[in-house]
Amino acid sequence: MYALADIWYQSVRHLRTQLRMPVWIFVNLFQPMVWLVLFTQVFKSLSDMPGLGGVSYLTFLAPGIVVMTVLFGSAWAGMGLLRDIDMGILSKMLATPVSRVSIILSRVFASMVVLVVQALIILLVAVIMGVDIAAGIPGVLLIIVLVSLLGLGFAAFSNGLAITLKRMEPLIGIINFVALPTVFMSSTMMAPDLLPGWLDTVRHFNPVDYAVVGVRGLVLTGYVWSDLWRSLTVLSGWAALGALFGLLMFRRKGE
Amino acid sequence: MSVIATYQLTKVFPGGVRAVDGVDFEVNAGEIFGFLGPNGAGKTTTSKMVNTLIQPTSGTALISGFDIRKDPGEVRSRIGYVGQDVGVDEYATGRENLTLYGRFYRLGGKTIKQRVNELFELVDLIGYEDKMVSTYSGGMRKRLDIAMGLIHQPDVIFLDEPTVGLDPQTRVHVWDYIRDLAKVMGVTIFLTTHYMEEADHLADRIAIIDRGKIMAIGTPAELKQSISGDAVTLSPGAGKANESQDFISRAEAALSGQAFVIRTQVMDGGLAVYVEHGESAVPEIMRLLSSHGIEVGTISVSRPSLDDVFLKYTGRTIRAEEGTPTTYAEVQRKRSRRQ
Repeated sequence: MYALADIWYQSVRHLRTQLRMPVWIFVNLFQPMVWLVLFTQVFKSLSDMPGLGGVSYLTFLAPGIVVMTVLFGSAWAGMGLLRDIDMGILSKMLATPVSRVSIILSRVFASMVVLVVQALIILLVAVIMGVDIAAGIPGVLLIIVLVSLLGLGFAAFSNGLAITLKRMEPLIGIINFVALPTVFMSSTMMAPDLLPGWLDTVRHFNPVDYAVVGVRGLVLTGYVWSDLWRSLTVLSGWAALGALFGLLMFRRKGE
Repeated sequence: MSVIATYQLTKVFPGGVRAVDGVDFEVNAGEIFGFLGPNGAGKTTTSKMVNTLIQPTSGTALISGFDIRKDPGEVRSRIGYVGQDVGVDEYATGRENLTLYGRFYRLGGKTIKQRVNELFELVDLIGYEDKMVSTYSGGMRKRLDIAMGLIHQPDVIFLDEPTVGLDPQTRVHVWDYIRDLAKVMGVTIFLTTHYMEEADHLADRIAIIDRGKIMAIGTPAELKQSISGDAVTLSPGAGKANESQDFISRAEAALSGQAFVIRTQVMDGGLAVYVEHGESAVPEIMRLLSSHGIEVGTISVSRPSLDDVFLKYTGRTIRAEEGTPTTYAEVQRKRSRRQ
């Protein structure tokens, strides 16, 4: 029970820190919208392409932007932990009876809260721009579940790497190395049918793709349960794997 | 009853470095216990093991009767840890920092509120409760840091180099707070430091640690008494460090048999001669040395200090500013530059 309370109090701390930075709020609210507008403008001529299922590229891409925003946001989640290590905050905390797992889990949870808000904003803007979410309001709830699982996995991995590497430079390097390629190695930007064969194979090993397929299905066609179950299962596995990695690294290096 | 008791506490780091090597000591309830040694002596490693932050390789310690290896949870709820870094969140207010720690120690909301007010008064931060820590000065941060380790009224608080990086004036202030703390709250304090002055000033008892081993334990007065008489230190002088070996052995041979010399102690680059009355012994020493044809570069007289105690037990001096062990010759050079 104390673990839950510890997660809560620390999450409050993390969120409060971020909300006190006006620039941070501004950037995080507007970045998703910038993605949405920029991508649809740059790729405007793609709308005429076959393979998108006869929908506008905006409608096709909006789910991808939701997933991408969650991915980028959660991949950077470990940076805050690095500050706590550098400032001596972490070792001071570890000398208290605070639940060990709560230190990682509260960071992951706080990231989730931010990402869910961002995802909702993108969906709202997309709807205003003319996107019709086929699965309706309950579908939005499912979208949130899907991207939360994806984000949980990445945020936990990022925190696990932070505690292992203990330094900013290698962490930044790894995040940059991983984040964008995982987007391109999925059907985020392009319909699966239009991907070259090898990428179509690779994407099946990429959790990002399962999130995109799940969310896009809900937006374009509604409840395709065969796809949804697969996405939910794979993403749950991904989240569990990330959490396991994060907690193991924390236990190993946290001494 | 002892609040801390260690039993052959040992830490061997990967690579075989024995940072702490079979350390035994006891800290009594209510005392300020100074753990004194140069950087790298094993102070912080010892403190971190007792604080459950790192696992001992062998041996163990009891905190208020709880084993650090078997009951780390019980230990943690009975200690306050104030590390070398100021572990406060500067993007939160002082009150938020303290309240979070109250939660970590499982205190109720009401108790926390009351303790927070008491502690702000104790560390003299009234009026700054709801200001962001980023606006605090270094000394204020350190005081908040200490308050955070006290919120649960621990049996013992660990202060690891509490005044490192603070300017001399702030240092004296922090000392005052630490002493008040011991008096007002009756809390036991385990203080690690490489400042002789700090240990002398604050500690009821001192353990001298060097290269992972405890060399001596006692009150500052006891330790100083173990050095009988004044110390007259001789060296061949600046720029003649390469002759010091020869100088030391010849000077020692000339002086050690004399009736007025209590004992001599060889150190890097010079010789310490302990005598009853330093000032009156100097002319006699000079006369003896010159009759043996030994030329003295520098000579100084000092009352026994913790520096001498440290020298006696470790064969080295401790340089106050950096806390790194250094040779006697270096100290002399530094002194002569300052004059």
